[in-house]
Amino acid sequence: MTSLQAIDIALDRRLQPTSIDVPSGQLVALVGPNGGGKTSLLRALARVELASGQVTVDGEDLDLAPEARRRRLLSFLPASREVTWPIAARDVIRLGLDRPDEDRIAELIALFELELLADRPVNHLSTGERARVLTARALASRPRILLLDEPLSNLDPYWVLRFFEIFETVAASGQSFLIALHDLAQLPRFDRALLIADGEVQMDEAPANLVVGECFGEIFRIREGADGDWEIRRPEGRRSSP
Amino acid sequence: MDMHGAFDALRNRAFERQTLRVLLALAMLLCIAAHLLLPIAPLREAHEIDPELANLLLVQLRLPRTLLVIGYGAALGVSGAALQATFANPLASPDISGASSGAALGAVIGGYWLGISQPLALAACGAAGALGTLGLLVGLAGRKADTATLLLAGLAISLAAGAATSLALSLAPSPFAFYDAFDWLMGSFTDRSLSQAAAALVPASFATALLLRRARALDLIGLGEDVAASLGLRPRRLSLEVIALSAVAVGACVSVAGAIGFVGLVAPLFARRISGGHPGKAMIPAAMIGAVLLTLADLAVRAVPLDRPIPVGVITALFGTPLFIWMVVTMRRRLTA
Amino acid sequence: MSVSALLLGVSGALRVASLNLCTDEYLLLLARPSEIASVSRLSHDPAESPLWRAARRYPANRGSLEGVITARPTLILTMGGGGRSSAAIARRMSVRTIDLPFPASIDDVERNMVRVASALGNVSRAAEWRKELVRMRAHRGAGQDAIFLTDNGFSVSSEGTGAEWMALAGFDQRPLPGGRATLETLTLHPPKILLRSNYRQNQHSIGQAWLAHPLARKARSKAIWTDGRPWTCMGPLMLSEIARLRDKR
Repeated sequence: MTSLQAIDIALDRRLQPTSIDVPSGQLVALVGPNGGGKTSLLRALARVELASGQVTVDGEDLDLAPEARRRRLLSFLPASREVTWPIAARDVIRLGLDRPDEDRIAELIALFELELLADRPVNHLSTGERARVLTARALASRPRILLLDEPLSNLDPYWVLRFFEIFETVAASGQSFLIALHDLAQLPRFDRALLIADGEVQMDEAPANLVVGECFGEIFRIREGADGDWEIRRPEGRRSSP
Repeated sequence: MDMHGAFDALRNRAFERQTLRVLLALAMLLCIAAHLLLPIAPLREAHEIDPELANLLLVQLRLPRTLLVIGYGAALGVSGAALQATFANPLASPDISGASSGAALGAVIGGYWLGISQPLALAACGAAGALGTLGLLVGLAGRKADTATLLLAGLAISLAAGAATSLALSLAPSPFAFYDAFDWLMGSFTDRSLSQAAAALVPASFATALLLRRARALDLIGLGEDVAASLGLRPRRLSLEVIALSAVAVGACVSVAGAIGFVGLVAPLFARRISGGHPGKAMIPAAMIGAVLLTLADLAVRAVPLDRPIPVGVITALFGTPLFIWMVVTMRRRLTA
Repeated sequence: MSVSALLLGVSGALRVASLNLCTDEYLLLLARPSEIASVSRLSHDPAESPLWRAARRYPANRGSLEGVITARPTLILTMGGGGRSSAAIARRMSVRTIDLPFPASIDDVERNMVRVASALGNVSRAAEWRKELVRMRAHRGAGQDAIFLTDNGFSVSSEGTGAEWMALAGFDQRPLPGGRATLETLTLHPPKILLRSNYRQNQHSIGQAWLAHPLARKARSKAIWTDGRPWTCMGPLMLSEIARLRDKR
């Protein structure tokens, strides 16, 4: 069942008209060079002000959905972890809900191990701690689609793995994720990977197929070496494979 | 911490905030009573001559002044909180952004140069002036400006508008205009009439009420404009609305009582203690804190028995400047930490 | 004798320049048109002087010596402010100056009138004015409690020239703290007579807005309007204004 349907979404000149379908429960990775359009794709899906096109979630057009309905359909976590105001972590998470639900908040605090931080102002937390709070906020309303821009940066290794556990558990209940990534090491854990460069989706494959694609090598200028590690791909022109 | 403990902590903090709110409301009532009745001697004297006279003094002289002080203080608090939420910056405020100075310029040009005397029309001139300077600020610094840019642009515009106001007054037809500069640039509530108070407070209440309705939206803007957009809000339209409504609220008040600084900066700062840091929810407490601060300042002005009255803005600057410096220092510390 | 003195003094005719609104009054009242070289620009302003029509026949100066020198005056009238340096410069150019003191009483005004008239060559030019003054002093009636009111509640001192003029009209200026009437005073202890100045009435200022306050407008006193212009100088022009006010009682 297709959860997310995006038709001809575009953003300024940073994202060319793009169409995507994402079935429910899928973990989709967005990779690509800096400035290539990963963030723009997420922002366009999140319907920021200059975005054009149409996005439907579970049959509902996002642009027509009232505010109360929106947060059940979609949630966006931007890459910036900056928070201006000294709001308690617990209250930040509460902002993700439109109806007070103390049980849900307690559940998320436990899930992200925020018990000791719950009442501290979020702008006094470390970047990694803020990442946990803001991700909890994004998950709070149990949205059908989660758009996360580099959620794993600033996290220590324990939390990178914990986050994946959480994502996989949530996806199992039918919610889908589109996650922009910088670190390709986590790519294998995803169901699907999109390579975005120059404002367009260049490749849409299973992760394993993505990294061996010629396109991938050209864009990233790296390739997987014989021992499984990445190495720089020198532009030597066509030569026969070893 | 288990669920039980979590709920206890929650209740304690909520209780603390509720207490603060009640104390604030009480402080407001006390201030209103004090401001209306003190000094009590003239009212007593009037009552002895003729009770009707005491009523007359109370209604025609004391009441407009108290209404203006409460309303102006509340308008400054609410628009200060709203502007800080919109610019995502705790230093944005009607005075720093240049709105107050722009309003004074608008009112002066309207009153002294265009010959507008009808109080509501003058209020519109003030609002137009405030809108102009706020628009200039957004044009110069952008809405997502960093603190330094915002401060510099806002202060530059404030200073320019203040200078222009003085110039407009010194070149005005009436030779007395020049001596009015103090009242326009530093505020005064002396001897204002009920119709002047109405001209200021009717538009200001309207605009303030519309701002208060946007509290939730402003709280969500605090998560970032993109997150707000994903939740169905329109950040740019919200910014424009906040700017326009703040301009009306502040502009109408300035057209009657002059530009008063620091209240719009400081009230939201304290209000966010009550609202738990939320910028939008801070608007109502900021209204009350602003009202209390301005009432105390005007009480101080009336308590000093001098021939020449001290402008209210001097008192607000006295308590506001140290606070402002402290804010800048803590911000710098946080940025360089 | 210096060249300038030759140039200025050669014609022998009397030409008087007045550098100040208040000295203008004496000049315009006492001098013949051919004797007036220049008056201050304030006298040209209808909002400042009742004699503006007459004043506009003469060139205006901005109150400084350089401004009038081209009009080749033989006598310059000043009052206070800048008198000293103007007088020194004028003396070097062999131009006579008279510095009139700001009147502290009606007697001072009379003395100024006499001085200017004799400088013009004929003391009797002031005679008519002085006779009128004597007549008014003789027939002054009992005084009524009054307050002179202008913008922002400002009034006149109960001991000064203004109060003396008011007394001639039968008004006793009440002593006010700081020389200012508050809205409380007007409401609680309204004077019998409120002498309201119409000076620059249609020009907006915060002080004018004060006069529009309900407690100032509906004051429970008899309001009598007076032309505010002569009150600036409280000089000879007050005589006719006071005579007019007398009839209003």
